[in-house]
Amino acid sequence: MVGLINAEPPANPDEYKNVMIFLESRDGKLKKPGLEMISVGSSIAHKVNEILIGIVFGDKVGDMVKEAGEYGCDRVIGYESPDLKDFRTIPYATLLSDLITELKPNILLIPATRNGRDLASRIAVRSRTGVTADCTELDIDPNGRILQARRPTYGESTLAEILCKRHRPQMATARPGIFAVPERKSDAKYESEIRKAKIKKEYLKKEIVDFKPKTTVDLTSAKYIVSGGLGLGKASGFNLIKQLADEIDAYVGASRPTVDMGWITRDHQVGQTGQSVRPQLYIACGISGKAQHLMGMKLSENIISINTDPNAEINSIADYIITADLYEVIPKLVAAIEKKKPQESATSTNAKTTKTKKVKAEESKSEDAN
Amino acid sequence: MIKMALEIIVMIKQVPDSSEVVIDPVTFTLNRGAARNVINPADENAVEQALKIKDANNDTHITVITMGPPFAESALLDCMAKGVDRGILVTDRAFAGADTYPTGLTLAATITKIGKFDIIFAGEESTDSSTGHVGPGVAEFLGIEQASYTSNSWVEDGKVFAERQLEDGVETVKMEPPCLITVLTNSNIPRNATLRMKIDAMKRGIETWTLADINLKPEWVGLKGSPTIVKSMKSIQEKKRAGKKFTPDQMDEFVDELISKGILKFGGD
Ligand SMILES: Cc1cc2nc3c(=O)[nH]c(=O)nc-3n(C[C@H](O)[C@H](O)[C@H](O)COP(=O)(O)OP(=O)(O)OC[C@H]3O[C@@H](n4cnc5c(N)ncnc54)[C@H](O)[C@@H]3O)c2cc1C
Ligand SMILES: Nc1ncnc2c1ncn2[C@@H]1O[C@H](COP(=O)(O)O)[C@@H](O)[C@H]1O
Repeated sequence: MVGLINAEPPANPDEYKNVMIFLESRDGKLKKPGLEMISVGSSIAHKVNEILIGIVFGDKVGDMVKEAGEYGCDRVIGYESPDLKDFRTIPYATLLSDLITELKPNILLIPATRNGRDLASRIAVRSRTGVTADCTELDIDPNGRILQARRPTYGESTLAEILCKRHRPQMATARPGIFAVPERKSDAKYESEIRKAKIKKEYLKKEIVDFKPKTTVDLTSAKYIVSGGLGLGKASGFNLIKQLADEIDAYVGASRPTVDMGWITRDHQVGQTGQSVRPQLYIACGISGKAQHLMGMKLSENIISINTDPNAEINSIADYIITADLYEVIPKLVAAIEKKKPQESATSTNAKTTKTKKVKAEESKSEDAN
Repeated sequence: MIKMALEIIVMIKQVPDSSEVVIDPVTFTLNRGAARNVINPADENAVEQALKIKDANNDTHITVITMGPPFAESALLDCMAKGVDRGILVTDRAFAGADTYPTGLTLAATITKIGKFDIIFAGEESTDSSTGHVGPGVAEFLGIEQASYTSNSWVEDGKVFAERQLEDGVETVKMEPPCLITVLTNSNIPRNATLRMKIDAMKRGIETWTLADINLKPEWVGLKGSPTIVKSMKSIQEKKRAGKKFTPDQMDEFVDELISKGILKFGGD
């Protein structure tokens, strides 16, 4: 607890060096949003000849420390204790802020997941510094001291650059799904250290009395997404969407009103209040393209719009536009793809292949779920 | 089950109505002038959550607070008309331009001045700054437990329970009061005020406090007390998209084009 006190810059900000990242985990496994910060964190650190320090907390951290090193952290510090098994704000915030005091990082990055934001808010106050939320671009100025944290505002139309010039560490949370997970290298060189954490009883008052896992569909890492909107007209319309998705091994996305209508579960929703996706191909079927939906998908490499309305807003950001009834277009598109597919999957065995693919997709989904 | 008399504080913020905010398609600036001011949507749900706890626990007393300009009074009165007992507007020119640190500090100092409380409610985030940092920041200033991103919360035998919606599951936590809870947008349906209650709220009125009432130094709040600055705003450069047209009868050519451009690949990866 800091008490009712102001934000205070350190006397000598140049003492603060290196980039620190907090790697979120569950049940001894690192989650994707943390890994996504390794590439951006290390490129910032290496640009100015500093190092990337990864921080991992858990019941047992050995495997995660190794993983963090192999993904590209130059130094990894793990704290372990049965009390750290689950994320809890106060013990996590206390340990992390003790590490800040010890290591004096110039920059601290935390994934902008719900637990990440929960933690970042408290760390910022405890360190009496500033934090920029939900960044989609992170860089360092040419002099190598000031973090340039950029985040979309005003309905994703504008990118604001926010600086924290005098206070340390300079903190930012990074939006999941934006930065790429680096390649894991088993021969990576890194320094590592595992410490036993002792947590005061008074920090453990909050009890987690229940946790019900949900298998979420992680659209953020999808290569292809086929999304359905209100233009489907009915819940069963999603069967057609799934048919096209299965054909190209894509994930199924949805606009918010289809979720609100109960046609599909919320974890398929793309947009401001759903997931932010950037697949190689996004096929929008019967989606008008309102700002809140575009926000979540306009970074897609390629966008196809299938819509009866030639003036649908989505068309303004589409690479390909098919102005027609989706119930006519999708079967024809599926048939055309079947023809082009390599022989073995295009013929009678197709049904079987599709099925195995689906199962495979389910498996990788639950693995990816963060 | 023992019913408790609770002291609840709800932090609300007045924001421009996002369904009315117009973004200029050329300059990409926000035309706030055109928009009405409303209570931040998640804060409406936070107020409702507090009222639900009051429904279940007799003698519960709810105070709603906001740091904002004088016209934010109307947001407080709207809450009082729904059953909130007390409204406090903390307003001062010195508060202008605050980022999340001094905002949290100002609200925490206000709560300290109010005195006793069991639960503080905040929204998950505000639509105009959307950081979600202010609520947990207040909990840190006050040194209390928190549960963020909750869809439900209740009090049982003197303990506070809350259900947190996480990316990978739903977590139920149990806390000792005093604690802070942030409430998800759309997690409940806010009740309406009756005309009689609106008139009654107007009669009761709100209290207005300034910097002098909360014992903070002028240089600790507002823009001066903010560690971060907005350096620049620029419109997001969007990828140029061709918008090439195909008809439903050209699907063969269409698929050929997708394959030849490498947009669609089968097998392999
Ligand atoms: C705070 C807030 C947050 C929001 N968050 C999100 C979000 O995260 N994600 C989201 O998606 N929305 C979100 N919305 C809702 C958003 O504003 C739009 O209402 C929504 O995206 C519209 O969904 P839609 O395109 O499916 O439906 P509509 O706007 O009704 O569009 C349906 C489209 O289908 C076309 N169509 C109809 N029949 C056919 C047919 N047979 N074949 C082909 N095309 C057809 C129509 O021409 C039309 O363009 C949010 C709104 C608010 C206020
Ligand atoms: N000026 C303010 N006055 C009162 N409460 C606020 C203010 N700013 C933010 N809050 C509260 O903090 C929550 C999160 O806001 P933010 O951190 O701006 O996204 C809001 O939903 C409110 O409950």
